[in-house]
Amino acid sequence: MTLAKLQPGARAIVRKVSGAPELLRRLMELGFVPGTTVTLVRRAPMGDPIELRLRGTHFSIRNTEADRIDVDPF
Amino acid sequence: MSIPSDLVELLPARERRRAEEPARRTRRKLVAIAGGPNCGKSTLFNRLTGLRQKVANYPGVTVEKKAGFVTLPSGRRIELLDLPGTYSLRPGSPDEVVVRDVLLGVQNSTPLPDLTLLVLDSTCLDRQLYLCMQLIEIGRPVVVALNMMDTAHEEGLDVNAALLGRAVGAPVIPISGRTGSGLRELREAMDRDVPPPRPVTRTLAEPIQEAAERLARVLPSAGPLVGLNRFHVAMALLLDEGEDDSLMRAVPHVVRREVVALRARLDEQVPEWRSHEPIGHYRAIEDLVRRSTLRLRPERSARERIDRVLTHRIWGPILFAGLMAVIFQSIFLWATPLMDGIDWSVNAAGRIIGPLLPAGPIRSLVVDGAIAGVGAVVTFVPQIAILFLFISLMEDSGYLARAAFIMDRLMRGVGLSGRAFIPLLSSFACAIPGIMATRTIDNRRDRLTTILIAPFMSCSARLPVYALLIGAFIPNRMVFGFVSLPGLVLFSLYAMGIMAAVGVAWVLKRTALRGPRPLYVMELPPYRVPQWRSVLLTVRDRAGLFVQKAGTVILAVSIVLWFLASYPKNAEVKPLEKRLQTAEAQGLHAQVVQIQNEISGVSLRDSFAGRAGRLIEPVIAPLGFDWKIGIALLSSFAAREVMVSTMATVYNLGDADQTSVSLREKLRHAENPATGARAYSPLMALSLMVFFVLACQCMSTVAVVRRETNSWTWPIFMVVMMNAMAWIASFVVFQGGRALGLG
Repeated sequence: MTLAKLQPGARAIVRKVSGAPELLRRLMELGFVPGTTVTLVRRAPMGDPIELRLRGTHFSIRNTEADRIDVDPF
Repeated sequence: MSIPSDLVELLPARERRRAEEPARRTRRKLVAIAGGPNCGKSTLFNRLTGLRQKVANYPGVTVEKKAGFVTLPSGRRIELLDLPGTYSLRPGSPDEVVVRDVLLGVQNSTPLPDLTLLVLDSTCLDRQLYLCMQLIEIGRPVVVALNMMDTAHEEGLDVNAALLGRAVGAPVIPISGRTGSGLRELREAMDRDVPPPRPVTRTLAEPIQEAAERLARVLPSAGPLVGLNRFHVAMALLLDEGEDDSLMRAVPHVVRREVVALRARLDEQVPEWRSHEPIGHYRAIEDLVRRSTLRLRPERSARERIDRVLTHRIWGPILFAGLMAVIFQSIFLWATPLMDGIDWSVNAAGRIIGPLLPAGPIRSLVVDGAIAGVGAVVTFVPQIAILFLFISLMEDSGYLARAAFIMDRLMRGVGLSGRAFIPLLSSFACAIPGIMATRTIDNRRDRLTTILIAPFMSCSARLPVYALLIGAFIPNRMVFGFVSLPGLVLFSLYAMGIMAAVGVAWVLKRTALRGPRPLYVMELPPYRVPQWRSVLLTVRDRAGLFVQKAGTVILAVSIVLWFLASYPKNAEVKPLEKRLQTAEAQGLHAQVVQIQNEISGVSLRDSFAGRAGRLIEPVIAPLGFDWKIGIALLSSFAAREVMVSTMATVYNLGDADQTSVSLREKLRHAENPATGARAYSPLMALSLMVFFVLACQCMSTVAVVRRETNSWTWPIFMVVMMNAMAWIASFVVFQGGRALGLG
C-alpha cells in the first residue's frame, strides 16, 4: 500500500521509498526513512496535493510522489 | 563504525592563514548563519544586524547574498552572512549549492566562514537536527542557536541544551528571536574562539566507509577544502551528483576520476548506497532527541483548528479568493493616490527646478529627462511596497504555504506549482511587483517560466490605451441583447493575455525550460504572529533593491528616450516660437496653448523618434499602423500609457488623456495623406489593442527581469518573443479582418 492511498487522519509506517536517486535522496533527507511514522492529515480542496505529518513537521507533497512511498498502515 | 581519527584534519585555519597571508589579518571575522526554512533565521539575522544590512547576488546565480555587521560584547565587529534556508547540505537547488559552497569555502567571492551559527527550531528538533549532523561533520567551528524555545515551552516541550551541546561538541544556546531572550549569551558565544565540533558517531556500510576513506586519502593537501574534515569532503563528492557541480570543479582531475569510479563501484556493490547517509543520520538523531528532549504535556497547538478552516474544502478556497481580492484591490486602487502624489511631486519638482535653469536643452534634459525618469522609477514603489507588505505578512504568518497548497492543483494545469499564483495575479495590476514576487518560487525553471509569462497579464498601464481606442472606435451597443460591445472587447483583451501566458508556459516547459520533474515538497509551517520589524524590513529591502538595481536602468533609458524625442531640433520651430512670443505679449491665452502644442507636435514628428516611426512604417504597415502610431509604439517603451500622450502630442493636442473627446475625434477623423481616406478604422484599433496585449512595451519590466534573473539573456529573449507574438497576432487580426471585408 502506498502513502497516496491512505485516508485522511490515518497513520502508517514508512516501509520503502522508491524512485530516481535524486528524488529518493530528497525524500529520505526530509525524514522519509524506513520505520518512520507518518500521518495523512488532509487532502487539498481539489484532492491533490496532500498534507502529511512526519517527525513533528507538516509537509505537502503531490500524489505522484506519495505513490512512491510504500507504507504499512496501523 | 566511527569516522577514523586520522582522517579528521582539524586545523586552526585562522592561525595558518595569518602566517601565510599577513594581508588577511585585517579581515573581519565572518560568521555564516545556516538553518532550515522557517526556523526563524531571518528574524534572528535582522535582530542581530539591525538596519545595517546589504543585499547583493552571488556571482552568476539569482541567489541573494544578504550580509550585515554585528558588534560583539568585546567591541569587535564581525560580518554576518545570512545563508538561504536549507534542509540539507547535499544540494538540490541553486540556493542549496550556494549554502554548501560557502560552508566548504569553494564559493567564489566569499571566504570560508570562521564560524557557522546554526539556527534550529526547537519545536521540531527531530528534522532540524539533520542539517546539524552534516554541519558538524565539516569540522569547522559551530555555535547552535536553539530558537523558539519560548514557543516550545508553551507547547509543552523542553530541550536539554547542555546535553545536546555535549553530544555535538558545540555550544548550544537557547534563544528566542521573537522576544530577544538569549541573544546576549549568543553574542558572547560568537565572541569566544569556538573549538571545532565533534562528529556524532554513525554507522555506514563497509563498502561506503571504504570508498569514502579511499577518496579522502587522494584529496589534495593544498588549495580549497584544506582545513575541513576530509571524510566529509569525500562523502560530499560522492553524493553531490548535480550536473557540472561546483564542488567537483574545485578538485583536481585525478580526484574527479576517482569519484566517478567509486560511484560506479558502489552502484554495483550496494545499489541503495545513497540512502545510507540519511538513514544513518536519522538513527543518530532519534537517539539524540530521545535523550535531550522532554515532553511535559501532550502536544496541543492551534494549527489544526486554524487549518480546519483555512484549508477546508469549501471555506479554504473562498477565504483565499477573498484575500486575493483585497490584495488585488490594494495594488490596483490603494496605490493610486500614492502614485498620483508621486506624479504631482515630480511635476512640482519640475516646475520649481525648471525656472532655476536657463531655458533650452539643459532645462529640458533636467525636467523632461532626469526628473521625469526618476518619477518613472519612484511611481512603482507604492505597488511594490503594498504587494510585499501582504506577501511578507502571509509568509511570516505561515499562510503563504497554505495558499500554495490550495492552488497547486489548478496551477499544475500549466506546468507550474501553487506558488506561481500570487505573482501572476499581482501582474494584472503591474508586472513589476509580480515579477519580484516570484522569489517565493523555489524551483528555478518554474520561477523563470512565471517571470516570462507575467507580462502577458494585462496590467493597469494598458488600461488607458484600451480605454482610448475602445472609446474612439468601438461602437457602444449591445450584443446578444445584454452584453455591451466595449465591455466584451475589454474582457476579450484580458482573456487573450491569459491564454497567451498559458500557451507560452506550455511551450517553455517543453522546450527551453524542460527538465526533470522537480520534487514538490513544501513545509506547512505552524502559524505564527508576524513580526512587524521583519515585515517592514522586507518591504524596505524590496523597494530599495528595485530603486537601486532596476531604477538605474529605467532612469538611463528614460534619458535616452527623452533625447530621441527632443532631437534634432526642427527649423520650423523658429517661426512658431516667434508667433508664440507675440501671442504671449498680447495675452492671447488660447492661442498660446495652441502654438505650444504645435511646437511639441512639430518637434516630436521631426525628432529621431519621429524619424524612427517613419523608418519602421513598412514593418508595421501590414498591421494597419502608420508612422504616427509607430512613434507612439516606440515612445511607449517608457511605459505603455505614454502611448496616449504621444498620440495627443503628434496630433498637436498637448497633454490630452484617454478620456479626451478631441483626441478621440482626431483619431476617428484622421486622414491618410496619400489617399485621403480615413487613416484608422475599428479594425486597426483592434489590431493595435492586440499588439498592446502581447508586446513587451515596458522598459521597467525589462529592467526588473534583468535584475531578477541576473542576466541579459532572459530579458532579451522575452522582448523578442513577446514582440514577435504581438506582430504575428496583429497581422492575423488586421489582414484576416480585411480579407473578411471588415476593414
